[in-house]
Amino acid sequence: MTEQKIGNPAVVGLAGFGLTTMVLQFHNVGWMGIGPVIWLGLIFGGLAQMVAGMQEMKTGNNFGYCAFTAYGCFWIALALLLIGNHYNIYVSNKTDIGWFLVAWTGFTAILWVGSMRLNGALALTFTLLLIGFILLDLAHFGYPKLTVVAGYELMICAAMAWYIMAHLIFADVFGRDVLPVGKPWLDFTRIEPEQIVRTGVQEAEAGA
Amino acid sequence: MQARTIIAAITLAAVTAFGSGLATAADPDAATPDEVVSKVWAASRFLNEKGASGFAGFNSKDGPWVWKDSYVFVYDCRLDRMVAHPMRPDLVGRPLMQITDNNGKFIFKELCKAGEDPHGGWVEYLWTKPGAGGVSRKISYAKGADIAFSSGIQVAAGVYDDKASVADLTKLTEKMADPTKYPAH
Repeated sequence: MTEQKIGNPAVVGLAGFGLTTMVLQFHNVGWMGIGPVIWLGLIFGGLAQMVAGMQEMKTGNNFGYCAFTAYGCFWIALALLLIGNHYNIYVSNKTDIGWFLVAWTGFTAILWVGSMRLNGALALTFTLLLIGFILLDLAHFGYPKLTVVAGYELMICAAMAWYIMAHLIFADVFGRDVLPVGKPWLDFTRIEPEQIVRTGVQEAEAGA
Repeated sequence: MQARTIIAAITLAAVTAFGSGLATAADPDAATPDEVVSKVWAASRFLNEKGASGFAGFNSKDGPWVWKDSYVFVYDCRLDRMVAHPMRPDLVGRPLMQITDNNGKFIFKELCKAGEDPHGGWVEYLWTKPGAGGVSRKISYAKGADIAFSSGIQVAAGVYDDKASVADLTKLTEKMADPTKYPAH
């Protein structure tokens, strides 16, 4: 009996994350209004990415499980927050949104450390995401002009997410790695204590 | 004794009339500089609270941002476009920086410069007064509106007045912004 091939949920998660992040930046630099950001934030960046995150659980990938589910929730929360502002439901002013972003910056910093153990492209994506969040934090607390800087910076971040998505899809359809993601930035081999003792014994025996 | 009382009463009346400024002496349907400053501050705070979802309210002629002969308009100095205007829907979404008055003054370049000050600023130019033919002298007060995921948004409103000077109105704004500097006595 042949084993059924299972798709990688990350391709959808990265697609939703990348596209919605990209569209918000189109708004932040002033190319378009906020409308499409809200609807994409609910459906693609939100629902689709969150479902992808849930599916990551079964693959045993805790990083993807946490990241996709959480950023899916980020988009749903942000979209509902903006809709709430329109309908006067718990209106969030600029400072409130600023603190919302600060909390997500802290969360992103933790995943950023984890991303450095996975591969270079993911580490770069999370580095750009963390810098983008910090720029948006500053934009909401006294430096509004940084919104535009964050906009261009996060467009690169979104493109990086698409690059990893393309890496996964192309590797599948072409049957070889077309777009390499690079080595992890932090790559220390784990050594068990017994292994160290055993090596020591072996060295002692070899020396004897 | 009676004559002194009458003189005192006349003096008091004159001082009161002078002290209340030009606005009360003029048309009661004309917006006063105090009202303009209050409305612009309120509009700036409103947009800070509501974000981009608050823009639409400024396009309404019947909304809270239109009163007497004045109104609040919203524009984006970074993107060079009118965001909302209750009287001139034709200008909404259009570039502004090239607009000049009959004297060749670049109105929005001046407004954007004045509005960059944290306390806002006044600019004098010629503009159509609602309900009146031709252009009138208008002095507008511009102030930034700090909005999430945005930069460069300002709100402004003005008085149609032939006498008020930018210097006097700046003093008024400073007084309203920081009353402690100007004790009542």
